[in-house]
Amino acid sequence: MAEEFNTDSMLSMFLYESNQGLEKLEGIILEKQDADCFDDSDINEIFRIMHTIKGSSAVLMYENIKTASHKLEDVFYYLRESHPENVPHRELVEKVLAVSDFITGELEKIKAGSDPDGDEKELVADLEEFLGELKGEIKKQGIRLPKANKQEEPTQFYITPVAEEDSHFYRIVIHYKSDTQMSNIRAYSATYALKEVAEDLLYTPEDILSNEGSHDNILAEGFHMLLQTKASKEEVLELIDSSEAESIDFNEINSTEYGKALTEFGREAPPIVINLDEDKSAAKDDKQQAPIAPGDYVVKSKETGKGKTLAKNQAKQQAIISVNVEKMDALMDMIGELVIAEATVLQNPDLKVPGLDLTNFQKAAAQLAKNTTELQDVIMSMRMMPLTSVFQKMRRIVFDVSRKLGKDIEFEVIGENTEVDKNIIEHISDPLMHLVRNSVDHGIEDDPEVRMANGKSPKGKITLEAKNEGGKVYISVKDDGKGLNKEKLYNKAMENGLIGDKAMSEFTDKDIFKFITLPGFSTKEVVTEYSGRGVGMDVVVKNIQSIGGRLDIDSVEGQGSEMTLVIPLTLAIISGIVIQVGEAPFVIEMASIKEFISVGEDALIQEPGGEEYLVLRGDCFPFIRLGEKYDLPGAKSKLEDGIVAVVEHEGKQICILIDKILQEQEIVVKPIPSYVKKVKGLSGCTQLGDGSIALILDVGGLMIEEERR
Amino acid sequence: MKILLAEDDFASRKFMDKQLSQYGECDVMVDGEEAVDAFMMALDDEEPYDLVCLDVMMPVMDGYQVLKAIRDIETQKGIPKSERVKVIMTTALNDERNVKMAFELGCEAYAGKPIDMEKFEKVLKKLELI
Amino acid sequence: MADELKEELLEEDASKGKFMTFQTGREYFGISISYVSEIIQMQPITAIPEAEDYIKGLINLRGKIIPVIDVRVRFKMEPVEYTDRTCIIVIDVKSTVIGLIVEKIAEVDDILDEDVVPPPTLGGHKDNEKSKYVYGLARTGDTMKLLLDPEKLIKQEDLNILEEIQEEEQS
Repeated sequence: MAEEFNTDSMLSMFLYESNQGLEKLEGIILEKQDADCFDDSDINEIFRIMHTIKGSSAVLMYENIKTASHKLEDVFYYLRESHPENVPHRELVEKVLAVSDFITGELEKIKAGSDPDGDEKELVADLEEFLGELKGEIKKQGIRLPKANKQEEPTQFYITPVAEEDSHFYRIVIHYKSDTQMSNIRAYSATYALKEVAEDLLYTPEDILSNEGSHDNILAEGFHMLLQTKASKEEVLELIDSSEAESIDFNEINSTEYGKALTEFGREAPPIVINLDEDKSAAKDDKQQAPIAPGDYVVKSKETGKGKTLAKNQAKQQAIISVNVEKMDALMDMIGELVIAEATVLQNPDLKVPGLDLTNFQKAAAQLAKNTTELQDVIMSMRMMPLTSVFQKMRRIVFDVSRKLGKDIEFEVIGENTEVDKNIIEHISDPLMHLVRNSVDHGIEDDPEVRMANGKSPKGKITLEAKNEGGKVYISVKDDGKGLNKEKLYNKAMENGLIGDKAMSEFTDKDIFKFITLPGFSTKEVVTEYSGRGVGMDVVVKNIQSIGGRLDIDSVEGQGSEMTLVIPLTLAIISGIVIQVGEAPFVIEMASIKEFISVGEDALIQEPGGEEYLVLRGDCFPFIRLGEKYDLPGAKSKLEDGIVAVVEHEGKQICILIDKILQEQEIVVKPIPSYVKKVKGLSGCTQLGDGSIALILDVGGLMIEEERR
Repeated sequence: MKILLAEDDFASRKFMDKQLSQYGECDVMVDGEEAVDAFMMALDDEEPYDLVCLDVMMPVMDGYQVLKAIRDIETQKGIPKSERVKVIMTTALNDERNVKMAFELGCEAYAGKPIDMEKFEKVLKKLELI
Repeated sequence: MADELKEELLEEDASKGKFMTFQTGREYFGISISYVSEIIQMQPITAIPEAEDYIKGLINLRGKIIPVIDVRVRFKMEPVEYTDRTCIIVIDVKSTVIGLIVEKIAEVDDILDEDVVPPPTLGGHKDNEKSKYVYGLARTGDTMKLLLDPEKLIKQEDLNILEEIQEEEQS
């Protein structure tokens, strides 16, 4: 979470550092929650963290954060100086967490742009009481009380800029008619009129009064204004005399865009300009920082402030570097476009001229492909982040919920250093929370006696494990609780009309477990304050599916349950085989393909109901004629004329009839526009080298369809 | 209270002038050099300013240079720290390094634009200007 | 830039609306030009199996993949063969970009607010207020134009009302 911030501005730095500090703090707490007490290094660390937060929040004038952190700092000051024994550890832990939560809450508000208006008084009074008792204990133990913790009021303050709720930011361009006289004077009248309502007004060209030539400039490029005002669009337009205006471009923007636009208007530009999108300036290293000095900001002309050359290279010595997320996303997009462009070159129809000797070209092409793949790998790896912070959050949740429910639970984490794409982390956090909560709430038995009667230890155990395997990440939440009762699940699903008339025997265990993910499913078992209604599970599954993953559920009644999230590692670019059915190209993910095989009619079995199967090497597979299924004109219907693709998904295999294989290719997965309702069997689309669009087959989806028939 | 405002942009100048005038008499300059001149003159006339509000990006001298000049002048004239004029930078530059440099040069506050006038007033109170 | 131009121009002066009009079959339609991104020639469409019948498929518009719909099919009219005059009007409605396959582009008309009459309410469809793709009719030149509300178009609700309007007109 902290990684998302642009660590350039004061506010971002404050939020970043404070959050880092609090994360560390929580780490210490959770590690030592069951210990007898904190050791010296813990105390020092906690003191230091609170001291830092106190200081920085004071400079930024967040009074409540300052007061809360100060009080806690005070407590730890006494602990540090006096080393009393028998400190009520559990109580202390709770207080620390209370402060941490309060501050985190306020930081969230600040991050969201609202007021940190939390009331710290109760929290502080509570701490004051605790401190009082502590001081009493210290005296009783005959230890001298240290000198009071000196408080220095800050002498320098930073006032965070604000976008007042009712302030609007507009970007306006006035285009005057080509026969307008003295457009510069008209422009001046516009600015003059706007001064009434402007909180901030910038315009370009600037020299509208002093330079007659600005008239030509204005006619050619329009008169640009950046306006901050509480006035509405209508009021603003009224003030601007539009009688000679050919047209007025009027756009409302937000405060961030406004800040960025200030740079374009040649004002207040930061010394470092990094332009990933623009062709002009070369991209500069984010980490290079030339020292700034007084005099750097003297305004000479409009040009000043843009694109200063960096004199020295002063990269900070850091093992870990933070990069603006937007830039990473832009980079990801670009590598995607690069892959497409590469295909356009390598598969260019111009090359298909017969008789061409392409030996040298092929060699060069191979090198290009190699470089692109390496580049892709490196960029993908830059987006990879360990799951540590997500897992830490889970730890906290187990702690909170188990305490509130009075259950004694051991929480084990395996593989928290497993790395996944940043995008994935954002999407699994909530689902994982849900699963963990469920385990604590419903998995682990309420009564330790029940557990012991079943031969289990009275202390419940929940294991959170992550591992990378075969291009996928497996994250599982396993508990040794009471497990799922198939009968109950089946009956509930039946009651809620979710499974039609099918008898219980027609479902595999796995299917029955999956009932809990059906929308509208909710047994009394699953409805509590902590895990919410059954509604939660189907949302969990949806979230996972949105990143191409799935949820596997396994359980043994009396022994426990295991929920596993299976997520593909890389999202956007996959290796695929482009095939053709009829006139249409499709793509099948390489990982799904077992083999391509030519078969004769003799391998075909047709059921009376219309279903078809192929017998290959003694095994029987469901068979889909893609051309018929998707109504594709020109598709081959005789098995001998086409090729059969044997594809696999989650251990199951089916056969698909296609016309021919075109090529193997790295493809950039693009979503099918949301306007088109989701089609089962298709997971996206892509552009091929020749510009045509190929749909990507979703083998899993196809299988589900088949099963339904 | 006597206030010196240095701001080269017309609209910002009008805005700040309006805001600051409610606290005291406000003199408005449009470039860095003028600001330093005004500061000097006020000292010489023994009617020094209580508060200086400086934009950063200005012609001739930028806000940092003005701040440095003001502090150097005060040091040279032997003005004790407790009697130094209070300086608040007003600018849209919100980078940590910019703020740090301003603090190092000796300003009391740094207000990012768009300015939160509520907090601005709070700072004036903390600095005992109002 | 051009888009911004169109966009604001018409959002400002609601009374002076410019509409892109097109013909398909015997009907003329109009759509506020503020939604129109561009007009392109017919190009190869990649069909999406099992999608709605009016969604003809996807096209590759300079790297962006957008869906295209057949306006006639959408309004449950008899589809016609595409000719070399068939074009695609690309519309952008609140960031959803889709293409409309139309038989023939007419011209950009000025239609004043006061010239727009509400479409006939049809018996039994009183609560169809919400799904009125056609929010009004206007006469320009010698033809009636059916004015489309693209936002409703995007909502993908079923539209039978148009059928009925046509029946009414013909009767």
